[in-house]
Formats: sequence, C-alpha cells, structure tokens
Amino acid sequence: MDKKKRRAGFLFVLPWIIGILLFTLIPMIAALYIGFTDWTIIGNAKFIGLKNYQDIFKNEDFYQALWVTVRYAIFAIPLTIITSLVISIFLSKNRKGVGIYRVIYYMPAIVSGVAVAIVFKWILDPTNGLLNSILAIFKIKGPDWLYDANWVLPSYLIMAVWGAGGGILTYLAALKDVPQDLYESASIDGANNLQKIWHITIPMLTPIIFYNLVIGIISAFRKFTDAYVLGGIGKEGNFYMIYLYDRAFSQYEMGYATALAWILFAIILALTLIVNITKKYWVFKAE
Amino acid sequence: MKKIFISVSLLLLMLFLASCGKKGRAENEFLFATWAAGTELREFNDVIRRVNEKADGEYTVSVQSIPADYYIKLSSMISANNAPDFFWLTQELISKYADLGAALDITSWFEDSDVLVPDDFFPGVLNSATYQGKYWGLPWIANPIMIYLNEDLFNLAGVELPSATADWTWEEFIDICREFKGMKTADGKDIYGCIVDGWPNIETFIWSGGGDILADDGTVLIDSEESLRGLANLHTIITEGLTPKYSEVGSLGSNNVWFEKGRVAMFMGGVQDNFEYKQTFVSEEERFPIKYAPMPKAPDGGQWAFDWTASTIVSPKVKNKDLAYKALEALTLEFFTWKLAPPIIGGEEKIKEIAPLKEDAYETIVYTLQFARSANYLPEWSKINDKLWYDLYLLMLQNKPNFNYETETRKIANYTRNLLKE
Amino acid sequence: MEITLKKPKNIKTKNIIITIVYYFFLSVGALAMLLPFFWMLSTSFKFENEIFAVPIKWFPSKLTNFNFKRALEVQPLFLQMANTFLLALLKIVGEVFVSALIAFGFSRFEFKGKNVLFMILLATMMLPYEVTMIPSFIIWTKLGLTDSYVPLALPAYFGSATFIFFLKMYFETFPKDYEESAIIDGANYFTIFTRIFIPLAKPALITISLWSFMGTWNDLLGQLIYINSESKYTIQLGLSTFSSMTGEVLWGPLMAASAIGLVPVIFILLFAQRYFVEGVKMTGIKG
Repeated sequence: MDKKKRRAGFLFVLPWIIGILLFTLIPMIAALYIGFTDWTIIGNAKFIGLKNYQDIFKNEDFYQALWVTVRYAIFAIPLTIITSLVISIFLSKNRKGVGIYRVIYYMPAIVSGVAVAIVFKWILDPTNGLLNSILAIFKIKGPDWLYDANWVLPSYLIMAVWGAGGGILTYLAALKDVPQDLYESASIDGANNLQKIWHITIPMLTPIIFYNLVIGIISAFRKFTDAYVLGGIGKEGNFYMIYLYDRAFSQYEMGYATALAWILFAIILALTLIVNITKKYWVFKAE
Repeated sequence: MKKIFISVSLLLLMLFLASCGKKGRAENEFLFATWAAGTELREFNDVIRRVNEKADGEYTVSVQSIPADYYIKLSSMISANNAPDFFWLTQELISKYADLGAALDITSWFEDSDVLVPDDFFPGVLNSATYQGKYWGLPWIANPIMIYLNEDLFNLAGVELPSATADWTWEEFIDICREFKGMKTADGKDIYGCIVDGWPNIETFIWSGGGDILADDGTVLIDSEESLRGLANLHTIITEGLTPKYSEVGSLGSNNVWFEKGRVAMFMGGVQDNFEYKQTFVSEEERFPIKYAPMPKAPDGGQWAFDWTASTIVSPKVKNKDLAYKALEALTLEFFTWKLAPPIIGGEEKIKEIAPLKEDAYETIVYTLQFARSANYLPEWSKINDKLWYDLYLLMLQNKPNFNYETETRKIANYTRNLLKE
Repeated sequence: MEITLKKPKNIKTKNIIITIVYYFFLSVGALAMLLPFFWMLSTSFKFENEIFAVPIKWFPSKLTNFNFKRALEVQPLFLQMANTFLLALLKIVGEVFVSALIAFGFSRFEFKGKNVLFMILLATMMLPYEVTMIPSFIIWTKLGLTDSYVPLALPAYFGSATFIFFLKMYFETFPKDYEESAIIDGANYFTIFTRIFIPLAKPALITISLWSFMGTWNDLLGQLIYINSESKYTIQLGLSTFSSMTGEVLWGPLMAASAIGLVPVIFILLFAQRYFVEGVKMTGIKG
C-alpha cells in the first residue's frame, strides 16, 4: 500500500484518535491510578499500592460474582447470537407483512433496561405472573423464578432471548447486500434453501457475526441494568457489575471497585483477543 | 461540506448555550440538594419559598432536585469540589459522610442556639445525627413505625382490637396473628395476621427481644440473649405461616398492597404511610375502617419503633458558616410544618395541621414518638447490614429446613467484631 | 428461448405448508415479544386497584385516562421528549457521520499501528464507564460545562466505538473492487467515501442512527449526572420521578409515561425498517 494511501487512512481515523486523547485517555489514566488507592469518592485518596487487588483475590464475594457472570455468559452469548441469526434469516425474505414483524421483533431492544426489568418483574412473578399463568393453562406449576436459586439463571436467559431481536438490524443490513445472483446460480446448481443458507448467507454474514460475538461478550460481562432492578434470590443475581456498583456507590469504596473494573477489563480483553485470533479461520472477507 | 458546516455550527451553538449563566454562588446563596421529585418537589419548593421570604434578602436558598441515583450524583458533586451547601442524608450514611469529612460539625452552633437545641428533639431521633459525640445535621422528620389495623378483619375473626396506646407484648401480638390463620376472603384468598418480607427491618426484631445491634460504646450485641430472643419472634412468624410466603409477596406489587386489599390484618408501617389517602380512591366494598396501635413491648419495657429519619447536612466547604447555620435552622423549622412527624418534643400539636387525614392516628403517633429509635449506624453499617440481610434475614424468609438462624447470627456477630477492630 | 415449467401440484402444496409454518412460528414469537408491551399499555389504562389484581386482568374492565393525566401533571413529558429529541439530534449528526468516516479508514486502508489502534478501540468498550464517570465529571465540572448537553453531545463528534466497530465489519463485506475502478479514474478517497460507500451503506447507517437515537433516549445515568435544571430534563429523568427514594412506585402513571415515551421510538423504527428490504444487488460494479 503506497504512502499516500496510508496517510489517507490515518487521516480518516484521526478524529477518533483526537477524541480518545480528549475524552477517554485522562479518565482512564485516572481510573488506573484510583485502582491503587482507597478513594471513597467523598473523601481523600491515599495510595495503597496493590492492596485492592490483593483484597479482591481473597474475597469470596468476588469469586461468586465472577461465577454468576461467567455462567450467564456461557449460555447467553451463543443463545442470543443463534436466536438473533435465525430470526434475521426468517425476516430477510420479502414476504408479505414482514416489515411489521421486523418492528415487533426489534421492539424489545428499544425499551430502556429499567422498563424491561419492571415488566419482567411481573412476568416472572411466581404467583401471579404472566409466565406461570400461561404454564398453568397447560397444567404445569411454574417455578419460583427469581425467588428460586436454581431458576435465577434461566430467568435472565429468558430475558436475554426476549431481547435477542436487538441484533437483527445488524444482520438484515448485511443481508440486504448479499448479491442475488449468488443465490440464483446456487439454485441452478440444485441447492435447496438450507444449503443456500449454510453456504452463502452465513459466510457472508461472518463479519457481522464476529461483531455480535465481541459485543455479546462485552455486554454479557457488563450485564447490569435488569439485574439491578430484579436481583435474584440470595446472591444468585449478583452479577459482577452489581458487585462493583455496590462497592463503589453503596460502600463508597471506589478504589476497590475500580480495581474490580480493571480485572473485568482484563478478562474481556483476553477473551476478545482470543476471538480476534480465531477470526482468520472463520470470518470471510468479501471476494 | 455542508454536513461539516452544520456540525460545526451545532457545536458552537451548544457551547454557547452551555456557557450562558455560569457564575458561582455568592456567600449568601445556598444550594440545597434533595431527592424530592415530582409532587414532593413542588411541596419542597413551597417550603423553600417560604424560608426565602422570611429571610428577607439576608440569604437565598435554591434547589437542586436529584430524582434518581441520588447518592451517586451527590457524591460526584462533592468529589468535584462542587458540593451543594445543604443536602439530605438518610440516617445510615451520616456517620460515613462525617467520617470522610463531607459533613460539617454543627455541634457548637446547635448547642448555643436560641431557637433549636438538642434537648428539643426526641432523643431516639437525634441519635441518628450523632456520631462520636458530635452533631452532624438536623433531623427534619421522624417517621417511626406503628401498627395499622383493619377493623373489619378483626371483627370477622372476633378478635378484640388493641387500643390506640396499647401496652401489649410481642407474645400477644403473635397470638393475635395466630387468630387469623386459615381465614379466607370472600373469594377464597388467604388472610394473614401480619406481613414480613424484609420489612420491618431486622433492627425491629432484634429490639423486640430487648437486644440491639451495637451498643453506644461499640460493643457488638447482635448475638446477645436478648437479640436472639427477638429473632425468635421473626422465626415464629415465618415458620408458623403468619405472614405470606416471601415469594408470594411480590404478586401484589408491594407489601402495602396486601393491607390495602384486606389480605393482612395488621401492617407495620411508618406513621407517614398514606393508607388513609388511598382509601379515598377505592370503592365502597374495598374500603375498611383503619385503626392504630403502637409497636408491641419488648421485655426491656420499650415499645421500640424503628424510626425512618433523615437529616439536613451542611457542607464543610460552605464559606459563611454562621449564616449557613442560620439558614439551616430556618429550613429545619419550616420542614417541621411540612412532614409527618416533626421530630421535636411538642411538635405533635402540628400533626393535625400537617396531616388532617391522620387525625384518628394522632394518639398513637404521639405515643409512638417517645419510642422512636435508630440503631447505632457506624460507617461500617453498610457491610454489617449486607450480611444481616443476605446471610440471615433472607434465609429466614425462605424458611429453609436446615438453616439455623442462631448459628448464623453468631457468625455475623463475630464478623462484625472483627470488622470493627480494623 | 424460454422454457416454462409448470409447477407440479405437490410442490405447490409444499410451498403452502412452508408458508403456513413460517408465519406460525413467526407469529408465536411475535406474540411473545409483544405481550410485555401489551401489559404495559393495558396497565396504563387501568384503575390502580386492577393493576395487580389476582387473577391477572388482561383488559381493564373500565378504561381510565387517569394515569395519563396524572403522569402529565407530574412531569412535562412533552417538553422532556422535545429536549431528548434535541440532544439526540445533536449527537446523531456527529456519531453517525464521523463514525462512518473512521470505520472507512479502519476497513479500507492499511497503515502503521492500525491493528493496535483497532484493539484500543475495542478496549475502550471494555472498561465499565462507572469508574471513568466520576473523573470525567470532575473534568467537565472544572471546565464549567455541567448542566448542559455539551458533555453528552461533544464526544459524539469524535465517533462512537461501537458504531465504528460495526461499520468496519460492515464495510468488510464489500469486495475490494468497489474502490478500484474509482481510484483508477483518479477520484480522491473522500469522494469515494461519500459517493460510493455512504450510499451503499444506507441500511447500516440507518441502523446506527437508530442506535444513536435510542442510546440518547434511554440513557438515564449520564443525563442525570450532567443535567441539573428541570427545564433541560430529558424523558428518562422525567420517568425516574415516578419511583421515589422511599421505594414507592406509582405503577399506573409510570406505565403511562413509559408508554408515551415509547411512541416516538416506535414511529422511527417503523420508518427505518423500510430500508431493510432485501436488495437486488448483483456482483460486479455498475458502470
């Protein structure tokens, strides 16, 4: 790539670099430093070196919160990506009325996290809630959902699937660009619908799947809003961010909380790097 | 090109809009941060307006409402050196803010005042604003709990109503709860004697046996005989099914709805709870006469009523501290005419003005105020409370068969002792 | 010569069955998506005593506009929506256009340090903002720019990491030859960007515009921290007043207000989804 082109590329990216320097760098450096102090937000900050990190690794609440989050991520990420993909493929055809369906499936993603949580609080109510009432019609006694330690994770997974429609726009946007004649020549070669999807649609979508995977990892580990409203019996709803938030704003231990944040950062970064490395094995670049 | 031009002009417009009206506050201008929002905010603004009128130019108070995440915004403002001059704090945080230097020590002004002195307050209430022997704010409300009674249900069960100033014990309270066991409403729904779902808080039950969390000198009393006896009351109520199951409570939205819908005969609620107001909206069939009784008596003779209280705190960064304290007093006195109940002795006369709907409860409220009590909320309270909730109360509520609350309580007590040693 | 094949009867029935199955699954899913919204709407019209009635009341026995009246009495919801629109508008122009610019740079060029910079971009999404929030707030306070939309809108003009990431992946679905011919013709990169990529990326741009709008519409914490004056309140701040510090929630008016808040977003969604119709693109560049 010639020098002029390289410089042009750099110029395109420049606004972001300036933005980082102006708005992100200083707060992040501050956050790095805070992680080494005992800052209480309203009080002074004293440098304590690695003590926060040492305390974190000795604290069973940390491991518990990490476990709740990892367990959720393991299930939620593949579940939402596959659901999202399947729905998108369904909705990419130009059948009658599909526009309305697109809106309907995307709607869960437009509501604010708090509103969703409040509505699901009712849906998942063991006595009176929508879900158990529907199960009762089929003569099934629904579990206590958020009040039963074994059902807290499934409760959150149900919410995740309900909101899975959020990814459909990304897939639909890319699907729109899949050239029609590829499908036509495949038909001529005798491919059926499923084969077309597997050999044409999905490969063309792999860059978008990569995007959703990375975003999925980040959001699963940073899960907060609905858990904040709903909790979950005992510490089953104690996701990592809930734990962090509590230490930061209820216990006024911002130093400790910031250290927690950096650990989370490291975990997410590591996972993303791994996914990034595997990228060349499964993400197709056009043509 | 056009897009760039539009973007840049929008940017400049924003900056212009932003920099308008940016001046600091003068020495006699005070900013008051509150969590009041919506209708409460309108009432708050009225109170402030009256204070400003009476101040007649000597000082002015303006309002900063923080409708959500109150403590996050408040602590952010403090950390950015832009603290409000006055702000509300609920009682559990006062010691922490004092410890970290975010509250002004008002002891000298308070004790020397001609208008409002420490002895004017109910001792239980003033305790909440006291830390290390000094005063850190002026409480503006005392909202102790009393018992709301559904007279219709009592008649239905053939049980005599406790009187408005009844001198009854916790054993008697639990016995009455038992009378309601098995009763059902007209459409077959269970009726309960009381409702316990995390409210009333654990302090209430610990006190019910004559125990306490922390003594004034810091001794941990969580696992004392008396405290355990109090927790036994909680245990009985839950295990005998005298309250709806924990997982069921949310099905009606919140615990107060159970009382409103006639499913619970006795509700332990703050004197400020607006059941009477809500009754004006419901249909004839749903309405029932509400009667009142004070909290039952603990073995130490006290009919301890947990007091939800909050104080107005002054920022230590305020420039003119004398003037600020003067304004604080004026504000506090004005709050006494607004909220139920004013935390000062003799303030009960105002109750009928403040809350006409509560006239029938007047006797009980006055009686209860003398027993209004707060726990000793040290800065470490949030950690202790966490353990009390997750490791004790919540597990008791779930009524798990192999959970031994006494063992757990001792564990928490020891945790607290270790915590306080550090 | 044209050969017309008459579809044999059993293929026709097969198609009908597929269509029925297709719409069946789609509709069941759609119902699941919609039920929470329906409850929200129906609650808005219920009298207080019916909201948590046992068994659930799907349809209010008596419609009332009490909740809406109450909601609007307590908060100037329309003013707040207007404010939110203003803020959203200020942000969209920056976020969408500048992000596209930056994504173009990341996807179509190679320059020194590009991969590192891109990893940094991803990394900025991984640190929970709760820990950089207060340092940022302190900086903006020192600049005297709080109680304005500046801290919320200005960073948008330097791109948004999620959008840049998505657009980069999206651009990667475009074959290399898209620019080749234009370059041969001597066009400069900026023109290629505006004349070729922007039009082709319409669905993706619409997607991130929608995201940008929704991000602004649903952001409570950011707006709470930086906005003080009630005249500048956004819709989320207005909605937050319906749950008080003491835990009392006004369910009826809250649902009514949330419903009102959803209407503009649904309209925009209905409008936007038209752009996701499957295209008739072919491989190869049009002349």
